[in-house]
Amino acid sequence: MKMLKLLLLFVVLGLGVAATVMYSGVVDVAADEPHSDFVYWVLEETRKNSITKAAQNIEVPDLEDPDLLLTGGSDYEFMCSSCHLAPGQKESDMSLGLYPAPPNLTIAAESHKGHEHGDDTQAARKNFWVIKHGIKASGMPAWGKTHEDERIWAMVAFIKKLPTLTPEQYQILTAIE
Amino acid sequence: MKTLTKIALVLIPTITLSMAATAHDPSMHAKKAEKADCSKMDHSKMDMKDPVAIAMMKKCMKQAETSSDKMDHSKMGKKMDHSKMTEMADHNMKKDGHDNH
Repeated sequence: MKMLKLLLLFVVLGLGVAATVMYSGVVDVAADEPHSDFVYWVLEETRKNSITKAAQNIEVPDLEDPDLLLTGGSDYEFMCSSCHLAPGQKESDMSLGLYPAPPNLTIAAESHKGHEHGDDTQAARKNFWVIKHGIKASGMPAWGKTHEDERIWAMVAFIKKLPTLTPEQYQILTAIE
Repeated sequence: MKTLTKIALVLIPTITLSMAATAHDPSMHAKKAEKADCSKMDHSKMDMKDPVAIAMMKKCMKQAETSSDKMDHSKMGKKMDHSKMTEMADHNMKKDGHDNH
């Protein structure tokens, strides 16, 4: 009985602290003020594991069809490049202003420091899931609400090749006819 | 001295604000539909088994076909009234100039 009372006290105290934090306005939600290392780690781990779990059973189609690069290329240029950049570009208003910063997709996954992307299939699954469903409170929209799966896979195929493209190749592949 | 102070008070904020407005001119962020610049494509270095090279070739060939279709004089027939062309070009130039505000 004593234990139960103690547990109840902790629960009430916990709720009280949470309510105080929520309603006092002490939490800084400004995008130009980074999270503490601990909060950032908690959110990053949550995000990574959530995506890995949600995407694990997605079936990846053949992504080597050249036509996918043409569809995916123009979509990438108009929907993604302002945040995720293009070959030869180092930053943009969006890449600097968003928090968490959107990943630079012109850099090969192997050269990303601090996190793993898995093999090609896993990377494709995750990219498809993120493009389709978006990520809460990150600025990443759910493109699946307005785009068919085929079109999203085309973007995945393009993103796979993106780190290997020169600015000239990128211009040709993404241009509108 | 008073006039100089007044001028400074008006000019400094005006210049500062107009510079900020230039830095955030929406046209800087607008994506423009561009044609593929196929002139820089080096065919000798292209591996025709590479999906990127194939996709680039397809894009450039399609673009060339589209532009040759547009310039197919045999299809133009006699409906084109050359006498009105200068007038139309003038009109388009005026229209383009008007779009920039």
